[in-house]
Amino acid sequence: MKILKLVFIGGAMSLTAFSASAETFRWASNTDPQTMDPHAVNSAPVLSFLNNIYEGLVRRNQGMSIEGSLAQSWEPLTNENGWRFNLREGVTFQDGSLFNSEDVMFSYERASSEAADVRSWFAPVKEVRVLDDYTIDFVTNAPNPLFPDSIANFMILDKGWAEANGAELPARDAENFATINVNGTGPFTVASRDPGIKTVLAPNAGWWGAAEHNITEAIFTPIGNAATGLAALLSGEIDFIQPIPLQDVAQVEGRNGFKVLEGEETRVIMFGFGHEHKELLYSSDVTGANPFQDVRVRQAAAHAIDIASIDRVLFRGKIDGASQLVPAGISGYSEANSTRSAYDPERAKALLTEAGYPNGFSFGLKCPNDRYINDEALCRAAASMFAAVGLNAELSTGPVRDYWPQLREDAFDMYLLGWSPGTFDMEHPIRFLLSTPNSEKKLGSWNFGGYSNQRVDALLPSIQQEIDPAKRQAMVDEVVAITQAEAAYIPLYTQPLIWAAKDNIDLTQRADNFFMLRWVTVN
Amino acid sequence: MVYFIVKRMIQSVFVMLAVAFLAFSLFRFVGDPITQMTGVETSVADQERLREELGLNDPFVSQFIRFTGDMLQGDFGYSYRTRQPVADMITERVPATLELGVVALIISLLVGVPAGVYTALKPRGIWTQTILMTTLVGVSIPTFVIGIMLIFLFGVQLGWLPTFGRGGTVQIGNWESSLFTISGWRALLLPAITLGVYQLTLTMRLVRAEMMEVMRSDYIRFAMARGVPMRKLHYKHALVNTMVPVITIIGLQFGGVIAFSIVTESVFQWPGMGLLFLESIRFVDIPVMGVYLVVIAFFFVLVNLVVDLLYVAIDPRLRLRDVE
Repeated sequence: MKILKLVFIGGAMSLTAFSASAETFRWASNTDPQTMDPHAVNSAPVLSFLNNIYEGLVRRNQGMSIEGSLAQSWEPLTNENGWRFNLREGVTFQDGSLFNSEDVMFSYERASSEAADVRSWFAPVKEVRVLDDYTIDFVTNAPNPLFPDSIANFMILDKGWAEANGAELPARDAENFATINVNGTGPFTVASRDPGIKTVLAPNAGWWGAAEHNITEAIFTPIGNAATGLAALLSGEIDFIQPIPLQDVAQVEGRNGFKVLEGEETRVIMFGFGHEHKELLYSSDVTGANPFQDVRVRQAAAHAIDIASIDRVLFRGKIDGASQLVPAGISGYSEANSTRSAYDPERAKALLTEAGYPNGFSFGLKCPNDRYINDEALCRAAASMFAAVGLNAELSTGPVRDYWPQLREDAFDMYLLGWSPGTFDMEHPIRFLLSTPNSEKKLGSWNFGGYSNQRVDALLPSIQQEIDPAKRQAMVDEVVAITQAEAAYIPLYTQPLIWAAKDNIDLTQRADNFFMLRWVTVN
Repeated sequence: MVYFIVKRMIQSVFVMLAVAFLAFSLFRFVGDPITQMTGVETSVADQERLREELGLNDPFVSQFIRFTGDMLQGDFGYSYRTRQPVADMITERVPATLELGVVALIISLLVGVPAGVYTALKPRGIWTQTILMTTLVGVSIPTFVIGIMLIFLFGVQLGWLPTFGRGGTVQIGNWESSLFTISGWRALLLPAITLGVYQLTLTMRLVRAEMMEVMRSDYIRFAMARGVPMRKLHYKHALVNTMVPVITIIGLQFGGVIAFSIVTESVFQWPGMGLLFLESIRFVDIPVMGVYLVVIAFFFVLVNLVVDLLYVAIDPRLRLRDVE
């Protein structure tokens, strides 16, 4: 009883402390955007943050579909491959200078330069042509129906501002003016920034769009420690935090004045195999062979996973099983192949016997322990499920900073991977995870196990170029059917997205884990 | 005396070189900075180009020589994570860590020394037993648990104190201080207590043990027999003689307080060097990690030097020896 009373007093005190400036919105996240330069780093924390300040030709709406931003409309070019963008007139940058096609041209050159981390977006582009002040053509090497979708995070800088301040190229080794200063066309501008500590944003009075938010000042604080972040929310010092750990959901829900926002990210968590490994690296009983090269063994591993138990025990019922490498709702999702391989330990044992391993075998399973929600616990659970059918996983886990290098060096028999399609299209995981690795063609760069199927490789260019949605979907369906039949990966589930806020905050939780200030209302 | 200080300074350069070498040889096992610096869509060829540009393909020895060479010329390099100059990033964070460490030290001395004297003079009192029990509990709980408990009690349940950050700060030259605002002090209290608890217990137990020892010595008994007032006896004669070992340990511990404020800074999101270091580990930001460790080594050397000088100030016997 006493504790309840204390809670009430605490709540009342924090309310009086912060209600004086109702439209000041304070939020926290676990990572500080490391730079204010929209072309320097291709990472979600940076791009999410900068989408409040800079804008692209197109942008994603609350439901993730593409809509016009600095381009009012766009259409395919008629006599060559590519797209024409008709730009919005009368848009000004935050320093007052006018936006036109020269800025787009400049930003393209900057973002596709060797110093830019986002240059892969422009790999299909052959040439960019300015037609007049408000028309610009992006000519592509081949038909590219997805191109406008793929540049939703390509943000436009002012040419004059960048040149005047020596920020013609993104900073690679040393900082430059654009690393800490901003000049976008977007709804917010940076009022002050203390990297790693605090960033204050203010609405851009000259924004071309109609403001849907009612924020007069927004203060961002990175809080690395999850418990500290939760305490900051519960004490009323911040209004919103993304993300919160799964185990804290009950605590937030149990308190008056707070709410948990749950959704699904577009990230599918999966197990991958060392397809091209000649032998197991971490086995105590199999030498000179890699049983996972046998499709029956891979299927057995898939049948061993009880996703319902994982959901119940580890995720409090917040996940959905995945059948393929993208979740439903992503364009190209194969409805025709939407059943995941069933939990069937008997079948798994039978398949192993058929493959010549009636007593199973041991192998090494690699997992990160700080990359995905509950990643280590998931792998422990999976290892015991594998063991139940005779697959004895030697689990080793480690921080993600050390994890990717290990996967690149092929130091695994089986590994955990989460994949979020950057373009929100099935083509993305086909290109990165299913294509035969080929660094020249920039294919399969995250296909660590070296999965290779000629038909899949042959279909990818056609999928990339096909304009007719039905024909395209048929090809995607074929790829998904092949990779399911071959158990190229074991898709597990879509990662949940868990944010928490005060009750008086309305906001939009977008599936790409981006947080847009322009959809926030403080009531 | 000057010779002594100069000698120590020269020694410190070797200490820092050794630390830099050890740190550098460990960095290879921390992880790969390139995968942290680039996005998932960055091609392998672009990653390799960046690796080459940053000199990460060079042999360990030449990387180390380049790092120390640049540092000796005053060039601390640029952070892989933020692309900012490392020297600026560290110097901006130094005031927060030092203020936290010093306030934690002061709290531990203000509470620890009197408590130590009290528990030594009244070894069987009920308060003595209570204090000893409480501090034993305090020192057995890990720092981050103490921090989280304090946050949830005073920040969340009672709502008296902020749960994170530094509060209001005042800029004095290059020094950003939170010691001149109310909100700064409110923010400082919990982290300083968290950081100071261990130090406090140590000080108290040390003062207690030394004091009990000194109280048994002959000169105290004689003083007592001569009728020196108890108060003067305790605080002038006895306490001062306990201070040499106390200062040694506390001084050496202070270096540790600065270095290990990492945990406290992380729990309270305290924007000091420790938090910067932690973020840098997560990101494999080798330049920042390297410079941080060297700076911490320098602090240790400096603290040791100050401790040695304090001896001389406190113990007249050492001064005499110096003159001879």
